[in-house]
Amino acid sequence: MTSKGSQKKTKSSLSKVNLVKFGTPPPSGSQKFKRIDPLTAFKTPSSSWKSDGEPSSSQGSSKGKGKAPSKHSIKTVTALDDEQDDRMWVDIYEPTTEAELAVHKKKVEDVRRWLTEAFEGGPSGKLKKYRRLLALTGPAGTGKTTTVRVLAEEMGFEIMEWRNAVGESSARQFDDSFDSFSDNYDYLSSNYASQSEALFSKFEAFLNRASSCQNLFITSTSSFSPSSSQSKARSPPAGKPKRQIILLDDLPNILHSGTQTQFHAALQSLVTSPISTPPVPVIIVVSDAGMRGEASDERMAGGGGWGKSKDGVVDIRTVLSRELLGGPYVTQIGFNPIAPTLLTKALQALLNKHFSTSSHTPPSREVLDAVVESANGDIRSAIMALQFACVVELGTKSRKKKGTATAVLESVTRREQSLVLFHLMGKVLYNKRKGDPPSASASAKDIQREKLIDSQLKDPPNLPPGLQEHERRTSRIDVDVLYADSPIDSSLFSLYIHQNYPQFCDGVEQCEGVADWLSWVDASGGEAWYQANPHRFHLLTLGTLHSLPSPVARRSQKIYKPAFFDFLQKEKNAWDSVRDTRGWVIGEGTGREKSFGTWSQTRVAMELGGILKARDATGSSESLPPPTSHRLFSNLGFTFASLGVGEPLGENEMSAQVEEGENEYTVRQTGASHDSGGGWLESDDIEDF
Amino acid sequence: MALWVDQFRPRTLDELHYHRGLSERLKSLAASGDFPHMLFYGPSGAGKKTRISCTLRQLFGPGAEKLKIDQRVFLSPSKRKLEVNIVQSNFHLEITPSEAGNYDRVVIQELLKEIAQTQQVDLNARQRFKVVIINEADSLSRDAQAALRRTMEKYMSNMRIILCANSTSRLIAPIKSRCLLMRVAAPNAAEMEVVLKYVAKRAPFTLPPEAAKKIIDDSGGNLRKAILVLEALKMQSPDLTGPLAIAKPDWETYCHKVADLIVSEQTPARVMEVRAKFYELLSHCIPPTVILKTVAERVVERVDESLKADVMHWAAFYEVRMRIGNKKIYHLEAWVVKVMSLYKHFFYDMDMSAFD
Repeated sequence: MTSKGSQKKTKSSLSKVNLVKFGTPPPSGSQKFKRIDPLTAFKTPSSSWKSDGEPSSSQGSSKGKGKAPSKHSIKTVTALDDEQDDRMWVDIYEPTTEAELAVHKKKVEDVRRWLTEAFEGGPSGKLKKYRRLLALTGPAGTGKTTTVRVLAEEMGFEIMEWRNAVGESSARQFDDSFDSFSDNYDYLSSNYASQSEALFSKFEAFLNRASSCQNLFITSTSSFSPSSSQSKARSPPAGKPKRQIILLDDLPNILHSGTQTQFHAALQSLVTSPISTPPVPVIIVVSDAGMRGEASDERMAGGGGWGKSKDGVVDIRTVLSRELLGGPYVTQIGFNPIAPTLLTKALQALLNKHFSTSSHTPPSREVLDAVVESANGDIRSAIMALQFACVVELGTKSRKKKGTATAVLESVTRREQSLVLFHLMGKVLYNKRKGDPPSASASAKDIQREKLIDSQLKDPPNLPPGLQEHERRTSRIDVDVLYADSPIDSSLFSLYIHQNYPQFCDGVEQCEGVADWLSWVDASGGEAWYQANPHRFHLLTLGTLHSLPSPVARRSQKIYKPAFFDFLQKEKNAWDSVRDTRGWVIGEGTGREKSFGTWSQTRVAMELGGILKARDATGSSESLPPPTSHRLFSNLGFTFASLGVGEPLGENEMSAQVEEGENEYTVRQTGASHDSGGGWLESDDIEDF
Repeated sequence: MALWVDQFRPRTLDELHYHRGLSERLKSLAASGDFPHMLFYGPSGAGKKTRISCTLRQLFGPGAEKLKIDQRVFLSPSKRKLEVNIVQSNFHLEITPSEAGNYDRVVIQELLKEIAQTQQVDLNARQRFKVVIINEADSLSRDAQAALRRTMEKYMSNMRIILCANSTSRLIAPIKSRCLLMRVAAPNAAEMEVVLKYVAKRAPFTLPPEAAKKIIDDSGGNLRKAILVLEALKMQSPDLTGPLAIAKPDWETYCHKVADLIVSEQTPARVMEVRAKFYELLSHCIPPTVILKTVAERVVERVDESLKADVMHWAAFYEVRMRIGNKKIYHLEAWVVKVMSLYKHFFYDMDMSAFD
């Protein structure tokens, strides 16, 4: 989210500077809103206003990242010197062919197959009906939108894209009334509120028109609706069949529950409406935003039946309604972060292209590596960082200071990195300490790195004899960093620790430590149930690290997802059946409810078991049999085989997966989530942490 | 369909089979016209509720037995909706505040205010006040109890409160001092036999003395449990002769087996196994405190004398944490691991020098 904030700030401060300094009259129409490159704008402020631009929509974007690349109509990339062309590299070097895409081939293939099926109906010709809605999910900067655009180019269809036009009118007012800004502020905000309603009806109209009357516009113009500049169609080369898709990248504000319901309804009606010819499939791009809020699942776990709110997160489940997700019309394709190898290749190709005509020397290999490493599989941020790195390099070239260059580079490439859950758990549970022997599978480079880390760690002071049992070597883990990078909140974190710690212990003594910390941390806090200890994450991590053996024996442990939620769900169902049975016992609805108070719910659950069982065994035919659901709580067979340990946690999975335990969704997933050939991470990589 | 427990429940104070002295006192209280707030306490299945409803009948006549169930919706401070079932007659009203979870204070306050502000309109009513019965009063949160104490004084003129609790230890002192405490002790074996025989006569069938004895031994003073077991047995083997297998609820047997698991092996793998069993128990709606108690009692039976105190100590320790904390499983497991560790070290550290 930081990137959005800073970008916005730069933009607004820039526009102010521009207005004051140069006195440029406020541009009008769709041209007035410039896409300002924060980097190059600093260098040549006046020229940045000359490049063509589109209304920026980052304000309305709920994803918090910048827009996907390629706002511009296609350009064959001629070698442009960056002195003249001050657009972002992301835009200049947008891939136009599949070969240039850094996305894994299988994913592209999945999307292509879906599109073919949507237009042609697959081998049997019947699939057309079910290929109405494609949801592309994945972290930001993994080439979701670009894949669609490239395929559009290749397969020759038009993209009709929805753009939130929030920036348009409010920005105009801002410009017009800049001098009397304070007077107009109230007006602005009220105007904005009234607009949000209208905005959605515009969206609906867009969907309707785009899906039914597209043929009118194809030949005449390249813009779907020229007056509003909300949507934009890209006309295919003449003579090709006019096939179209609707691309929803920039969604209406679905965090507002009213809009969300409307949005769901709109999609539902779109999907269930009869197919028009030619069909217009809809592609929705959803970037996963990290989920991180304390106490949100706390409420659910503690309150029992109060339900929970999953507000504040845009993910596939808020974008698509439950019926749609479970239904046959929606296909979901998940994009993984781009593998380092693919990323390096793509960046190298970009650099070659860029510097082939330039007199400057391309950045060194180390710079590239640093950029790739920091990008975390986000190609957009990688290219941005690379461009910035080059700009800096150019500026400091005369001084030739290698040291400052790397320092600058470090600051360029630093961004909020969230640790993948899998690695977070690995880091904590493997409990690496200073001087641990390197693991068998570690490469020479890793060993080197571990040595480097060790050399920076201070040894703890010697403990007095009475405290010898607490002596540990210095941990390689910095809890503060871990906390900052953790993708999950402490409550969920504790559940993960709880699910997995016994495998990493050698004996019950070590378990004792962890279990006691879990218990203590859960119980610590204020008198009231909602006051939680703010230091839970740190306490739990430190406590776990202190209790686990060091080094942890390798037994090819697997990390599992917490079984907690499954059982919570089961418990809720059982309570429902207890309620039913209670109704039966006190004769609810018969008008003779006498013993209401004597049968509390716990009493029903605990004491009625015997009699219900006897009743079932003898099969006595009563006029009013107890509800059969009572077996949910009364029937408890003991088996010695341990119950299913649950689902192992995948490397690429983020915390959002946990929700699946609570709400049984059936998500049809095309393309397994683990086929990231080239490998975002080797399975042994966990040992590096 | 009514279970025997409900079907043959005494309806007037005169019908009660035991604690005659208590019944006499309740009767004279009801007749005196100066009825106090009351707190009935005693173990589960001793007959508290039965005595309360008998007293109500004594106070108001048969009209107190005409009940209707209302579902009321309350709004919590955070605007969440709470649905609470309320049983009421023209003369009284009965709530189980634990249904409202953490927001019991809101429910108590709203309800009591409403009752207190309305006068009895039935001119034929024997008493000028209404009665509010609060079940499971010992699970009332501190906030709710504090809200009660002022109300009890302020609205004495047209409302009386009857609390029903298993133990007084979790009620705050101001409440206890505002109530007339009525202890309802568990019936002894002879009294229970009388009741079982009465039930058998009403059912009707003849109850062999051995069967009665067995049931009474098993019930541990819980009359409701005894009658339920009797009914279950009668269903299984209608003649009630020969060897009788008392059907325990599944969860009890299950808990015992969990205890055996704990004692038989102490490894991290076993911790996982026990955890799975706890999850099963919890998902069958068995309260975690009951699980802990049952398992602990069984473990204590199985371990060496010198360990028993420790096992119970830690059970108590983690039960407190469980009540404060959120995720019950952590505390159950922490106790298990603690006991395992104690048990293991008991053998591991055993002083072998005496054998030399």
